[in-house]
Amino acid sequence: MSEEVAAPRWRDSDLVHDFVHSPVAIVSVAVTLILLVVGAGASFVAPYDVINPAVANVIDARLPPGAEGLAGQHYWLGTDPQGRDMLSAIIFGLRMSLLVGLSSVALAAVVGIALGLVSGYFGGLADAVIMRIADVQLSFPAILIALMIDGITRTLMNRDLHERLAIPVLIFAISASFWVQYARVVRGIVLVERGKEYVLAAKVTGVATPRIIASHLLPNALGPVLVIATINLALAILTESTLSFLGVGVPPTQPSLGSLIRIGNEFLFSGNWWISMIPAAVLVLLSLAVNLVGDWLRDALNPKLSTA
Amino acid sequence: MGMLVLNRLSQTVLVVLVAALVSFTLIRYVGDPVNNMVGQSATLADRAAMRQQLGLDDPVLVQFARFLNDAAHGDLGISYRYAQQVSALLKERLPATLELSVCAMLIAVLLGVPLGVWTALHRGSVVSQVLLAGSLMGIALPTFVIGIIFILIFSVWLGWLPAFGRGAVVDIGGGWTTGLLTASGIKALILPSLTLGLFQMTLIMRLVRAEMLEVMRTDFIKFARARGLANVIVNYDHALRNTLVPVITIIGLQFGNIFAFSIIVETVFQWPGLGLLVIQAIQFSDVPLLAAYLVLIALCFALINLAVDLLYSAIDPRVRRGGAAGPKTA
Repeated sequence: MSEEVAAPRWRDSDLVHDFVHSPVAIVSVAVTLILLVVGAGASFVAPYDVINPAVANVIDARLPPGAEGLAGQHYWLGTDPQGRDMLSAIIFGLRMSLLVGLSSVALAAVVGIALGLVSGYFGGLADAVIMRIADVQLSFPAILIALMIDGITRTLMNRDLHERLAIPVLIFAISASFWVQYARVVRGIVLVERGKEYVLAAKVTGVATPRIIASHLLPNALGPVLVIATINLALAILTESTLSFLGVGVPPTQPSLGSLIRIGNEFLFSGNWWISMIPAAVLVLLSLAVNLVGDWLRDALNPKLSTA
Repeated sequence: MGMLVLNRLSQTVLVVLVAALVSFTLIRYVGDPVNNMVGQSATLADRAAMRQQLGLDDPVLVQFARFLNDAAHGDLGISYRYAQQVSALLKERLPATLELSVCAMLIAVLLGVPLGVWTALHRGSVVSQVLLAGSLMGIALPTFVIGIIFILIFSVWLGWLPAFGRGAVVDIGGGWTTGLLTASGIKALILPSLTLGLFQMTLIMRLVRAEMLEVMRTDFIKFARARGLANVIVNYDHALRNTLVPVITIIGLQFGNIFAFSIIVETVFQWPGLGLLVIQAIQFSDVPLLAAYLVLIALCFALINLAVDLLYSAIDPRVRRGGAAGPKTA
């Protein structure tokens, strides 16, 4: 009766067991982490500086992968029409995609969770208004919402204001199209949990409302939110590169995978396929890896699929 | 049923009004309409007179009402960049986008539904696994990458199909130009509609497969088999019919998605449709065009969703009675 049972180690949890036994999960998480590290450390990893226009040598323009530059630089993946090294441009573009993707998912999650908690816990008018807005927004495709918000804010700003604010506007536009999922899921969970005994007990014993919401209700929502966030990250990265490809995303002075693909599109017929295809391959790799992680996470955290 | 219709209708009207309000604010307050119309040497008195003439001194509500009235009569302003009536521009480009969207939808449905049924009925077979892995690629690959790969393979390397433009078009009256009546028009339509439809096809395929698998697990299918009905009848007459009900409504909603992704495909293939028009409007800050497009898509999507909701409640009696089942909006 007085035997001490050690607390279960996280290493023994179902999630870790599932991860270790699933090759797809291991590979996709590994790839995602590698790309994350490479992107975050772009300034250190990339062989050449792509942001500084003085470094690029126009004589070296459109060289194929593996070529040597005029001053002896080695271009592993070739060069783009302005003589910039493709490998460096892709690494910096990767950083930009990850930055915009992670920021917009974080913003959408924070706003969505907050609205979901308010909507589920307090109900009434706030709930009705928030859910009505969410319903309306769900009838429009995300990319269209992001495009319209981005386009409209562009027309409202003049040129140099736009240069400085383009990326925050982009992040805002993308997150505006994603917050709804978080709000709905969190609201559903709150509606289920708030009738349970432990919440009622907390209320009766006089625990303050914010504390109830933060300590009791919020942790229940974190599992599903994590799954949504991962799948959303892939979508956010794709949306950012699509908008950059269309010319309405990241400004042209900053490298982005989407704008690299757009620049390369004009040179397909000249036979310079690498300017377009290699950034596309990196983009697809990133999106596929994150998608697979999200899929695995959703199946691993799904209680209905557990064998218990 | 009546309440639902009224609810949806009021929501539709509200959405369109909000979009119109945003549009009106854009047109009225971005830049100075008078500055855009008179030269630099116009005097202050001239400008004041022009203001009066354009009705810019009236209260905001009156101007908004006038804007709505004009829009309802088809006058959506004059494009800054093209110096033409916006409504004329939209009408000119609409056939191209519609043809592309309808073709893409046909490809998506005619390929997606049979493939979905097949992979559901033949679970675990190698072909099914390959198709499912392929569909994952279809979801992870962004539309413009698919388009560029197609251009690379079929235009640059093989030279079979054109990479941009619409080919020769034929005017069949009422301002409608179609590319379906010429060989070059059809050739030009293949790659864009394939690109646009591929993503939707993978979605429909996965959806049909999931729905079919769920239906196959139900009791009434078990009883049908137990009664000794042939597999063909069980699979197609019973299972497929029930699968198609939610699938049809999702397909209706996906039409809106196709409209959105057509913007991307039109940019890749330089297809002269509405999507390319709006991208250029954004790049050149062509406010009247952008504002008109905003109202147009708000109207389109609100109507699509209204139609799909009504269709679903007409098909599924459980929704009419306010029961547990409802449309699964993915």
